Amino acid sequence: MIEVASLSKRFGKTQAVSDLSFRVEPGTITGFLGPNGAGKSTTLRSVLGLVHPDAGGATVLGVPYRELDRPLHRVGAVLEASEVHPGRSGRNHLRVLAAAAGIPRSRVEEVLALVELSTAAKRRVKGYSLGMRQRLGLATALLGDPEVLVLDEPANGLDPAGVRWLRDLLRSLAAEGRTILVSSHVLAEVAQTVDRVVIIHRGALVQQASIAEVLAGAQGATRVRSPDAQRLRELIAAQGGTVTDVDDRTFATDLPPERIGKVAAANGIVLHELTVERATLEEVFLELTAGETTQ
Amino acid sequence: MTALVRSELLKVRTIRSWWAYLIVIVAFTGLAVAAQIGSTDGGDRGTVDFQSDLVETAGIALLLAIILGITIMTTEFRFGTVTPTFLVAPARELVIAAKAIAAAVLAIGFALLALLVVAVVALPWLASVGAETHLLDGEIGTGAAQQILSVVLWALMGVAIGAVVQSQVAALVGTLVWIFLGETLLIGLFGLLDIDGAAAYLPFQALDAADGSGGGELLSYWPGVAVSLGWIALLGAVGVARTRRRDIT
Repeated sequence: MIEVASLSKRFGKTQAVSDLSFRVEPGTITGFLGPNGAGKSTTLRSVLGLVHPDAGGATVLGVPYRELDRPLHRVGAVLEASEVHPGRSGRNHLRVLAAAAGIPRSRVEEVLALVELSTAAKRRVKGYSLGMRQRLGLATALLGDPEVLVLDEPANGLDPAGVRWLRDLLRSLAAEGRTILVSSHVLAEVAQTVDRVVIIHRGALVQQASIAEVLAGAQGATRVRSPDAQRLRELIAAQGGTVTDVDDRTFATDLPPERIGKVAAANGIVLHELTVERATLEEVFLELTAGETTQ
Repeated sequence: MTALVRSELLKVRTIRSWWAYLIVIVAFTGLAVAAQIGSTDGGDRGTVDFQSDLVETAGIALLLAIILGITIMTTEFRFGTVTPTFLVAPARELVIAAKAIAAAVLAIGFALLALLVVAVVALPWLASVGAETHLLDGEIGTGAAQQILSVVLWALMGVAIGAVVQSQVAALVGTLVWIFLGETLLIGLFGLLDIDGAAAYLPFQALDAADGSGGGELLSYWPGVAVSLGWIALLGAVGVARTRRRDIT
């Protein structure tokens, strides 16, 4: 559906994307995640034929974007909420693009209603809030009723109600069988919506998996409580485990519960609690993309 | 292609500055015609020469046409609307072609509007002072037609410059400085180098020749049009190449 193959792009001294490959499967919502500056926008702009890669490339629906016939009917994209002439009204912004794509004016009113912007449509975009601009961007992407949607940080500038509205909209669009690639630097914005994630950092792929796989691969901590915690701590440390004290009788360790149980049984230590604490998705994300500021 | 041209025309008409173009053309042409008639002796007002000069007051449309051409091209880069534009039409050379056609269509409108203002101000005025009118004669009609073509050439030159320079401020300021200062300096330089003849081939000297008003050092009419088109084609080709290569970020 969307296939990025060995994509590399350098801007001056900055290697924005290096040898990046991933696939977006048909009919899924894929989250495209990474900290700010990870190369998400450059990648999306390469996919859409706006940026010329130094090496590698990307195809959408089997061909490079530039070779699509009537591209607005196949792929809808929002890259930045600010790519609108401030002096033009929201409705006229859509009409200009509809005219170029041969889309009837009635469709402009439909998408305005869909993103709940009908009442503000005749106002000039200059006076729009960031959230309204995001909605206008979504309306732009939906003009051609495309089967593929590419959205760059669509939740930016939305209030919590807006984020929820966006989530519901994306879900209903996906339920209609559309393929959606949505980027974000905040995992929580998309975690409840996406089926799969592609995580990049410094222009390179970190992980491409389902949300469940990402969580399963995350290293969890084991929480241990014992009346004889002091002795158990020493035994675990001797096995090479790290120990973080919670209180006198409770601590956390990176050794799995099986090992702890075995050590406790072999030394006749009573356990009161032995639980696995899964890292949250947000923690996993931060761990995978750590060190962003040390560039 | 028709769809792209319609979209470009709609882009211009949905911005308020569109009205500024029309107001400036009407106001400046009206004032220029009135000033010219008012400051001329009664007897001279009935001559063909004087009335062809009147038609030339429509020349304000030239300047507005080149500003429009530059703006049509560079506004997209200024506000980032070039992103959705190229998403709709990934063949960037077609977008530039559509802009050139739209600019040419609007330029014809500008020229006709300016000529209409000349007629509306001059015809009743001349009639009221009993001067014979030649404005609708063949000779002046040819001059008016040349003027319309000339406005189109200026608009196309604007689009070509916009495609090359892409920064709106740089393109507008650079072009005005070039028109009012750059070429004058170059003509002086050509004189020092003893190649005075080359001056007539400078882009705006050629465009000057192509408005039909003639002048001592200028090329004659058709060579003027041809050299103008040559400059437009050259700059246009550079502009298309630059725009195609550019990363839209």
